[in-house]
Amino acid sequence: MSDTVAKAALPDAPQTYATPGKRFPWGDVIFWVVAVAVAFLVLAPLYVLVKVSLSTLAQATAPHPSYLIHNPTWDNWNRLLNWDTIGGPLTHSLIVATGTAILAILFAAPAAYVISRLPRKYRYLAILSVLFTRMFPEVIIATPIASNFFSWGLNDTNVGLILAHLIRCMPLATWILVGSFASIPRDLEESSAVDGASKVKTLIRVVLPLGAPGIAVAAIFAWLDSWNDLLYAIYLFLTERTLPLLTYYYANRGNVTDVATFSVILTIPVVIITLFLQRWIKSGTLSGAVKG
Amino acid sequence: MQQEQAHSASIALETDRLREQPYRPKRGLGVWIRKHALEIAMVSPLFLYILFFMLVPVTQSIYFSFVHEGTSTFTLDNYREIVNRSAFKDAFWNTIGITVFGVTMEMVFGLGIAFLLSRSFHGRGILRSIVLVPMGVPTIVAGAAMLYFVGFNGYINEILYDLGIIDVPIYWQQSGVRGMFVIALADVWKSLPLVVLILLAGLESIPGDVYEAAGIDGATGWQKFLHHTIPLLMPSITMALILRAIDAFRIFDIAMVLAGQAIPVMSSFVYFDYNAGNTNTASAAAVILLMMIIVFVLAYIFLVERRSEVE
Repeated sequence: MSDTVAKAALPDAPQTYATPGKRFPWGDVIFWVVAVAVAFLVLAPLYVLVKVSLSTLAQATAPHPSYLIHNPTWDNWNRLLNWDTIGGPLTHSLIVATGTAILAILFAAPAAYVISRLPRKYRYLAILSVLFTRMFPEVIIATPIASNFFSWGLNDTNVGLILAHLIRCMPLATWILVGSFASIPRDLEESSAVDGASKVKTLIRVVLPLGAPGIAVAAIFAWLDSWNDLLYAIYLFLTERTLPLLTYYYANRGNVTDVATFSVILTIPVVIITLFLQRWIKSGTLSGAVKG
Repeated sequence: MQQEQAHSASIALETDRLREQPYRPKRGLGVWIRKHALEIAMVSPLFLYILFFMLVPVTQSIYFSFVHEGTSTFTLDNYREIVNRSAFKDAFWNTIGITVFGVTMEMVFGLGIAFLLSRSFHGRGILRSIVLVPMGVPTIVAGAAMLYFVGFNGYINEILYDLGIIDVPIYWQQSGVRGMFVIALADVWKSLPLVVLILLAGLESIPGDVYEAAGIDGATGWQKFLHHTIPLLMPSITMALILRAIDAFRIFDIAMVLAGQAIPVMSSFVYFDYNAGNTNTASAAAVILLMMIIVFVLAYIFLVERRSEVE
């Protein structure tokens, strides 16, 4: 439903604002200047991170930093990209992010399907109460979770961190999935039932394949959320490290080139994934569950 | 025999009657549960998870905040203790300042960029992709990147120096208005894509007829914006603003990596206090943060939403 709305609105929208210029197009010039400035400001921090990761400590901490890259050096990368430094944190981050994504889908997808088939009023209520959990500051949950997990021996374990990351990922995954399941027409399920398929079979053969894109988007969002997390990691990991935790400790120690290098390492997979994901991150993904 | 036949006939009649009756759901919890067994099984993992890993911890925190450490007698001492700590006062005002600075900038820039992207031009797709990039960048990286801009030898000072505005570098990473501004800036960079997406979706769902009609009535661009776009966009603005404000109140990663303990915010105050072994006062601070968020959301709904309904 919401997808069709979004698609229908897209081709019309530009016409609404485009004004045919008759005089000298001052508006267009200003427009382009602003557009380029926006692009520049958005990309500048990433450029600086790459630049610092390619410079020596002396260059990076000089009183007047240069705007362009002079004499790039791979020293930081050679020093930090070895298994002793990065192996443990990288393994933890990968396992935890993947585990979180899989479990988030296993928990959220069935529930989201049921919610998407509720009468409109109840669906709205269910979605609101799932989103309501976002109002809790994470520290109010993390503090008792950390003390509980310590007494259960779950600190410094991947399982513990996965369980904690699900707290953050599950509401968002549920939201995305309700939107994508709601857009699957019910007629298909009904005709499948008329043909004699059981409820479970209909779910597996009809709903699951049609909901696959939404499931993929939800899984990737969960993966990213877990990959980016610092808060639960800092509460639960005391001797072990994840990549964000490693970056934080280096930042705390104040070695600027190392921080930049770790930041770039942390960002590369994420930027690649988001670029691939962009065609799906549209209005439909973010408002599908609440609309129509 | 006859009796038996009559009995079975009456049963048959009864079943026929039941069949002919329009379907009416039976009452009773047992029947309902049996009928929806699959649905219940599908929802319960999520429900139980939310119960045990969100609602129970929140309750635990509230409980911890009202009891003495060690003994479990009721007390308000935890709250009394933290409100007198200067780090807590700093954290409280920093959080509010960051939220106000950050959300204001996000709404202004977000609206501007959403308008930009709602026009048709060559390179619209590319600009949209570029604007969305920070959404994927880890929050901690957004904070780390800002280190090179706000540092003593950072780029903000360098640009101001090159423009001849300052001679002596400014120390940005200090508690107070400067620190709030710096953290808010990093937060704006990171969160702008979400605001742009929500507002853009809202803009694209405004039908073109509205503008045509306004144009025929002789409305200028500014009038169209003020009297048509903004009111029609209000639901999207509300959604973006509430979502962003909640996240700004909860800000943690950016503040931790940019300033650590030097510029405390509520979340980092809770963490450091917990880390120092004061679970009870940490819980009290976390409960105060929750109250801040709830008060904000309620106040917004009552003040802004109600007024726009009346209008």
